[in-house]
Amino acid sequence: MSASRSAERSIAEGVFYPFAALVGQERMKRALLLNAICPKIGGVLIRGEKGTAKSTAVRSLAALLPALDGSQRTMPLVTLPLSATEDQVIGSLDFESAIKTGKPRFRPGLIFRAHRGILYLDEVNLLDDHLVDVILDAVASGVNIVEREGFSFQHPAQIILVGTMNPEEGELRPQLLDRFGLVVEVQSLPTLEERMELLRRREAFEADPLGFQARWQRETEILRQKIRRAREIFPTVELVPERLEEIVNLSLQAQVAGHRGDLVTALTARALAAWEGRRWVTAEDVVEAAELALRHRQRAVTENQPEKNPSQEDQNRHRPPLSEKPPASRDTSSSSPKGSHRENQPPAPERGERMEGGEVNENPSCTKGAAETSPKNYQDGLGTENPVTASPGRQTGKERIFPIGQPYPLRLFERERDRLWRRRPGRRFHTLSQTRRGRYIRSTILKEGDDLALDATIRAAAPHQLYRRRDGLALVIENSDLRQKVRERKTGHLLVFLVDASGSMGAQERMIEVKGAVFSLLLDAYQKRDQVSLVVFRGQEAQVLLPPTSSAERAHRLLQELPTGGKTPLAAGLWQSYQLIQGHFYRAPERSPWLILVTDGRANVSLGSGRPLEEALAAASIIRADPRIKSLVVDVEKNGLLSFGQSQRLAHALGADYFLLGELRAQELVLTLRAAIRPGQR
Amino acid sequence: MLPIYPFSAIVGQEEMKKGLILNAINPRLSGILIRGEKGTAKSTAVRALAALLPEIEVVADCPFSCDPDDIGSMCPHCRQRRETGEELPRARRQMRVVELPVSATEDRVVGTLDLETAIKKGERHFEPGLLAQANRGILYVDEVNLLDDHVVDVLLDAAAMGVNYVEREGVSFSHPASFILIGTMNPEEGELRPQLLDRFGLAVNVEGISDPSLRMEVIRRRLAFEEDPLGFNQKWQDQEQEWRQQILSARQLLPEVTASDEILYLIAEIATTLEVDGHRADITLLKAARTMAAWRGRREVTREDIAATAGLTLAHRLRRRPFQEAQPDLKKVEDLLGNDGTTEQGQEKANLSRQGS
Repeated sequence: MSASRSAERSIAEGVFYPFAALVGQERMKRALLLNAICPKIGGVLIRGEKGTAKSTAVRSLAALLPALDGSQRTMPLVTLPLSATEDQVIGSLDFESAIKTGKPRFRPGLIFRAHRGILYLDEVNLLDDHLVDVILDAVASGVNIVEREGFSFQHPAQIILVGTMNPEEGELRPQLLDRFGLVVEVQSLPTLEERMELLRRREAFEADPLGFQARWQRETEILRQKIRRAREIFPTVELVPERLEEIVNLSLQAQVAGHRGDLVTALTARALAAWEGRRWVTAEDVVEAAELALRHRQRAVTENQPEKNPSQEDQNRHRPPLSEKPPASRDTSSSSPKGSHRENQPPAPERGERMEGGEVNENPSCTKGAAETSPKNYQDGLGTENPVTASPGRQTGKERIFPIGQPYPLRLFERERDRLWRRRPGRRFHTLSQTRRGRYIRSTILKEGDDLALDATIRAAAPHQLYRRRDGLALVIENSDLRQKVRERKTGHLLVFLVDASGSMGAQERMIEVKGAVFSLLLDAYQKRDQVSLVVFRGQEAQVLLPPTSSAERAHRLLQELPTGGKTPLAAGLWQSYQLIQGHFYRAPERSPWLILVTDGRANVSLGSGRPLEEALAAASIIRADPRIKSLVVDVEKNGLLSFGQSQRLAHALGADYFLLGELRAQELVLTLRAAIRPGQR
Repeated sequence: MLPIYPFSAIVGQEEMKKGLILNAINPRLSGILIRGEKGTAKSTAVRALAALLPEIEVVADCPFSCDPDDIGSMCPHCRQRRETGEELPRARRQMRVVELPVSATEDRVVGTLDLETAIKKGERHFEPGLLAQANRGILYVDEVNLLDDHVVDVLLDAAAMGVNYVEREGVSFSHPASFILIGTMNPEEGELRPQLLDRFGLAVNVEGISDPSLRMEVIRRRLAFEEDPLGFNQKWQDQEQEWRQQILSARQLLPEVTASDEILYLIAEIATTLEVDGHRADITLLKAARTMAAWRGRREVTREDIAATAGLTLAHRLRRRPFQEAQPDLKKVEDLLGNDGTTEQGQEKANLSRQGS
């Protein structure tokens, strides 16, 4: 190990961009330095769009930070590669020594190496959940306890966790979010001058990395000195009761869950004072610290609160006091969600807050960045297409094109999913390991198949070698040693949206809701890497608008342009989808197909000579006969009017779960659908 | 080895050729993504590029193709040998094109525990993967959008760092992995995630050539090549040599190419106008423009260089977020540059007629 470690060093050293030369991004730099002063703060999560020097900044820390032991060395910075396996992270049996001496010896992992240093989790939202859990456990308890391969070992693990992520790729689980002491958002540099300076420095660095580093040596040394001094001062920095009170007040105001936030804020404020060379904490320190430590811990409302007609008062109460700018929902908060402008200024943001319940991440108004990734983002994406007037849709001849209703944040189920997942991890992995594809994460005793985990098998066999007959081999493996790989792969589903675009769907702007609901599922499909397909029926026939693809983006575009009008050839739609799904079984059998039928069920065009509805029901029972296909029916027939209940019959014939898209209930519908499709899965 | 169609004989596809050549001159451009249908000379061009490039000097028995003259970029093993005073065996060979199949598994890409030594000797050794083979060469990923997500992540991580860190299956190892990453994809089959898209320095859309006379020329040359590959290559040898020479001189010139404040301002302005995410667009545009200047034999970046590379560096970075419609596009860039950019095609025609005669 030592050989490759020194290799890592030498490849790394002299290559990293100096921290002192980073342009802008002051908050990020500060958050990192504060942790270097006081590792107890608990690490930083850096959130931001791609290409904003997140990784550069973290990697450049390696050469900057003085070791905690006061020596001249720098703090260790260990990067967790995306392809890491569990044994390398927590450590494992050293099989070389076990084979040769018969004695089990611990072979340290990344956690051991990161002790009293920084463990860098790049793209932390893409890392395997299990690995992240293991790491967080060790970091939170300060001890890494290894119980595996027939031996026990434990060692201290004081680690500063630094994570980076791009929210575009999906959010982090709230439990993980809370484990990070501070969270900062980074954005592109705002001014042209800064951008130019960045270009200049970057070019200079790449032309001559060592020379560049040398030129910044003085600045680097100044920073280093400042860190050293701050570390010295830190234990003596005073936090007077007034400041403490301010912290508690801020925390209460922001409805922070638990007490970790308070503690982190206090430590951060003291570190800030130490950084400035002060021995007392000022009110400004407290505010700045709270910005870093509390935002991601804010809780909006409790889970069970009823969600009808939020009043203005409610809104104010739930809006956290730390917002840098008013959340997008402000203008709409006075109008009830039933207002006719729903499609323009929808209630989605405040509903989002509401639905989140106990979750604190990504609350639309919680942090600036989050506000940008959720409601504003949706608005950017869709608002342009939405008519500014109250008119619900563009009118082109008989056909109308309805805008897409607002998408809904689908975060409620993250928690539940996680819980379910923990309950039965075996099952989840079991099915996946058969495909021999996916990321190898850890190993288990071989049960079936031949996906052998060689390293684990050798480790299992190693301690017994002294007692086995070896016949010239170094290693004798017996059946009981065999281990198989546990792999994780995000296979996802195939979601076939069968959408009724007939004239009746245009009534009362149903199509807006429908599009909104489908779009929400698409957004989710994008993050979960599902494949989607869009089949539409109207007029005389059904049409596959979009063959199965992982480009949810195209589905969205097609959906946006989808006109409504004409008759309802429901049977044709069902038949078309059925054939599409059958074809899919040949191409990607590992993706389980879901047929999501969105209709009011008023079939009035038949395929052959039968009556339209009967044909549709017949088609439905054919689909039902195939156990691999699961289906959902979303009934968009409005309540209270003449109700035909035909969708319900259809759902029955399909053996499908049935949902009614009632007035303004689309959001719940989406959540329900989501739960139906992925019970306890990620 | 099968004869390879000469790069300089590829008809049309100027943007793609330009992008490939820029990467050949400056490997720091972080690769190129070629988007387009089947049968648009993508693979031909990649293989031809490797044949066009000058040979490299390597440590003969090193699995990572280390450069015997550059200690800084050596693998741990070569470095150790050199430090103990060993004379490293040298060899010259063409740049490798390592192809990554869609079915590649992570352990094959990253490398894994060496089975044989583990069982025979009970020792832990690293068995290099495709990333090791690709060091100092070209890593060609056909249908990159169909690769398993986590394989792409690993790939791009290594490409960005120039180092492959392995922490898996009982092996802890790192080795240089700096390569020209060339990906191809057919957008109809699904898009790459924006994050991955952004990691490709350049991107180009290719489509079939619509000009009938050019199309005829494609067939003519292809037939000539299939009939008599060696003779065909012979005929194009001078042209190949000329391009090779130009690439070599561009490489030498590149470090000297400077960009004025006016140019930097223009780049920053373009990036802000287009509201691209982050700074990779700015940085890559400057790099590409500098490389372009070097290719054209100049020591100073001009607006023309920016005009010639803006499409390659910016087009795939325009769309900001999932589901958001593309920004009003590159028209704005042209406005900023005050340039209509139509000269390229004319040039190609001129080249072609010169070749034909």
